[in-house]
Amino acid sequence: MNEFTYYITEFLNHIIGSIPLFGAELLLIATFIVSILGSLFLAKRFPQATFNITCIGLILTLFILLQQYAANTVGGGFFDLLLIDRLSIISRLLMGFSALVIALFMRQYALKTKNARNVSDAYSILLTATLGLFLLVSSTHWLMLYIAIETVSISSYILVAYFAAKKQQSEAAMKYILFGSVCAAIMLYGLSLIYGFTGNLNFASQEQLTGLTSTPNVVMGVAFFLLFTGIGFKLSFVPFHAWTPDVYEGAPTAITAFLATLPKVAVVVLLARILQSWTASPFFYSDILIYGVTAVAIASMLLGNMAALRQQQVKRMMAYSSIGQIGILLMAALVYQGDNAHILLYYLTIYTLMNLAVFIFIDRLEHQLGSTTIADYRGLGKKQPLLFSCFTFVLISLIGLPPTAGFMSKLLVFSSVFDSFQSTGSTCYLLLLIIGASTAAISLFFYFKIPTTAFLKDYKQDSTVQNPNDSQVDTLYILAIIFSFSLLILGLFPSLLLNILK
Amino acid sequence: MLSLLIFLPLLATALILALPTSYRNSYKYIALVFTGIQFVLAGYAYMQFDASFTGINQEAQYQFVEHLPWIRLDLGTIGKLEIDYFVGIDGVSLPLLVLSAFVMLMAIGSSWNITKSLKGYYALLMVLNMAVMGIFCALDFFLFYLFYEVMLLPLYFLIGIWGGERREYAALKFFIYTLLGSVFMLLIIVGLYFSVTNPVTGAHTFNMLLMMDPANYASDGFFSQFAGHEVWGIPTRMIGFIVLFFAFAIKIPIVPLHTWLPDAHVEAPTPVSIILAGILLKVGGYGIIRTCYSIFPDAGLAAGWWLALIGVISILYGALNALAQRDLKRMIAYSSVSHMGFVLLGISSMTAEGVAGGVFQMISHGFLSAALFFLVGVIYDRVHDRDIYHYRGLAQLMPKYTGYVAITFFASLGLPGFSAFIGEAFVIIGTFNAESVGTGIPRWMAIMGSIGILLSAAYLLWTLQRMFFGETRLYGGEAWSAKLVDLTAREQLILFPSLALALILGICPFLVFDNLNASVINLVAMVRQYI
Repeated sequence: MNEFTYYITEFLNHIIGSIPLFGAELLLIATFIVSILGSLFLAKRFPQATFNITCIGLILTLFILLQQYAANTVGGGFFDLLLIDRLSIISRLLMGFSALVIALFMRQYALKTKNARNVSDAYSILLTATLGLFLLVSSTHWLMLYIAIETVSISSYILVAYFAAKKQQSEAAMKYILFGSVCAAIMLYGLSLIYGFTGNLNFASQEQLTGLTSTPNVVMGVAFFLLFTGIGFKLSFVPFHAWTPDVYEGAPTAITAFLATLPKVAVVVLLARILQSWTASPFFYSDILIYGVTAVAIASMLLGNMAALRQQQVKRMMAYSSIGQIGILLMAALVYQGDNAHILLYYLTIYTLMNLAVFIFIDRLEHQLGSTTIADYRGLGKKQPLLFSCFTFVLISLIGLPPTAGFMSKLLVFSSVFDSFQSTGSTCYLLLLIIGASTAAISLFFYFKIPTTAFLKDYKQDSTVQNPNDSQVDTLYILAIIFSFSLLILGLFPSLLLNILK
Repeated sequence: MLSLLIFLPLLATALILALPTSYRNSYKYIALVFTGIQFVLAGYAYMQFDASFTGINQEAQYQFVEHLPWIRLDLGTIGKLEIDYFVGIDGVSLPLLVLSAFVMLMAIGSSWNITKSLKGYYALLMVLNMAVMGIFCALDFFLFYLFYEVMLLPLYFLIGIWGGERREYAALKFFIYTLLGSVFMLLIIVGLYFSVTNPVTGAHTFNMLLMMDPANYASDGFFSQFAGHEVWGIPTRMIGFIVLFFAFAIKIPIVPLHTWLPDAHVEAPTPVSIILAGILLKVGGYGIIRTCYSIFPDAGLAAGWWLALIGVISILYGALNALAQRDLKRMIAYSSVSHMGFVLLGISSMTAEGVAGGVFQMISHGFLSAALFFLVGVIYDRVHDRDIYHYRGLAQLMPKYTGYVAITFFASLGLPGFSAFIGEAFVIIGTFNAESVGTGIPRWMAIMGSIGILLSAAYLLWTLQRMFFGETRLYGGEAWSAKLVDLTAREQLILFPSLALALILGICPFLVFDNLNASVINLVAMVRQYI
């Protein structure tokens, strides 16, 4: 004990010095506590109290992040548990902003759904989820990452289960929790193996790299497999995708929008960091990783897009399409090299904008029609030209056709992959490009079911479907339309965003 | 000026969308006026065009050039990315530009009677107009691709909303076919831009003209001629050529990638059929000249024999299919496949006569097929039936119409004195000469091409005989004969110019050839240096 006393001042100074780096997260924690108090004491009198607290907290967090962005903060803190760099700051800005949109989305859901229970606590959970996500993108230390992943997972379980009213929704929540906990446990086992072999928990450290090199290949393959099970569950790539359709369909649309965007962004950033550290050295395990990720990306693109073809429910279709999208995200993560972070971030930003917009449109239609079946959109294009024009435009962007930002982001990712192909000559990259291009053509079939049904079929009054009225205009709807237009502008002038992300 | 030509329709779209629906009757006039201005602008470009400029691979040899930096990205290790707003025309694009404006006018004229959601219809038509003008002017591959893809969406909706019974199927089929070609084209574009650097700025570029110069390729670039890269045993340059060709071949369309065309034509409304046949098929031929052969001349030359064979098969297969059709519109769709086969045959011969003939055939087929589809539209509008066997002896009922049909049929089948004759004759002459210059196209292909002309005479004249001559006997009886009134003044106004043009170009082909010549000779010389 005595030998430590000598260092205590130094430790304390280090910890105190690290606190400014932790500002955004600290604020989130404070907001979380205040919001719980709010929902306990203020919810009766001011039903919107928690929502307002959450929004203010998130906006202040964004403000702190903007300051970090402006000051170009780079550094590690808390004994390398925390790592702040450009990638972490910008991805947190993106996630903070999306969390704000999701909060609005949840309020909308609560307002529009009759006999929804008190939603106040859900906002608090959203805050903890955001906290976990923030930590996930700002660390290279497995201990920290595991805590972050668990924070996100548990918050997501609660969010999915929170609004469960029907049997199907409870089933979705149950599936999600069971699948999630098993995957997390397996991942922990993989981590313990890696720690055992290397004696270090920081995946970017030299010790871990050398330790991995001297590990027997088979054992290390097992360790990687276990580790990627956990990551795979969060990203829902094949073969860990089975929960996605049920959960996407069962969860309220606001939560589906959350699941489809924020955790994906965080885990892709994490994966990009891992792959950057581990594939840089030309040893056996880097090859294994590249082959593994390629195989998984190809399988996800093929299976996701093929399965989406047969879906009749729009949310289920979006679930499979997001499995397909993961393939491209994996490509972006695979070619991340530190100095081309803006390509990854551009893709993630556009991905988030597209998915948020799509789910906002789906939600709006769900409330109007009381249905999420694509066939029920028939002939609505003429009744709601603005909504369906924007919807179609966002879908075009998801396919990746010009002049949308979706095209531009895909082009940039393909360019990076092609560059890797040219410099390494590995056929993996070429296969990724070919599959990526051909699945884009496949995805046209199912994405275009929506405009086809809405514009090409004639409207038919149906007794099971409510008569849609387009009169209400709300913040969320306006936001989605702004997103659609920004997809056009960012598609034509990508430099606007790319210069910010650099 | 080209920007004005390209983006004028966008202004029309904005105007149409901004006007409330109570002014719905004015939409067609807006569209007509704007397209009219475009036609005048294109005509002005034609008058001002200096025929001595050789175009193809040098920026200084293009006219009306506008070259502005558009997207500049620094991609870290990958290097700098350079996308320009770069438009300009040479002898190959000029006639197609004028043709597009002309066919667009015909299309708007023939959509006079459309009543279903006018606002959307004219707005989409104008977006389509912008895209096709852009394709023929763009000299930056990114810009080209942008316009190429933007063109798909309006067409999808135009066929899908205003089309016939199986319109959803036809629209989706058309979209999927074209998209399948273009997604792979995108990969080649990415590969090209990585291989090519702009010698002035040192950045990777999408500039097509720089892609045509082997000196601009990085020495070990993926598509470099000197590096000799191979993927799965095939030279990369050959892969690049084949993939680009595949994308444009779907547009032309060649056999066996043509199956979208009859469906799209049969289901599309008349104006869209006119645009499809009159302009969009030409995008295929133009793309092959502008990108496939200009960027990969060596691979193009090596693949010439196969291209010519595909051309010949398209000519014969299309003609034989046309012979077997009962549906008039389907027959004309197959005749398009057959006639566009000549374009491919001419280009692949890589002789000055052949290439010039191919481009001329595109122009001639452009307005002749537009006229043919318009003529089908005339009877379909009246009685909603296109079955050839449901009509007989129409000549007595509709004498003017019969006259126009007869002239158009004769013009299309290649009667001397009409434009199609010049195009097909030049293609066959070029193919015949190809053996002597060593581009590797055997003479029997030229002979097979002439058999194609014979077959086209057979199906067109047989149809003329079946439908128009003999006793008047109609499937719908008295009700039909009351409805089948002769051509109106508006219809004649649309038909007359295109037939006049067929005759004028048939007698004075130099109106096109003069401007075309320098560019074609330049292209042929550029490709032939790889013999």
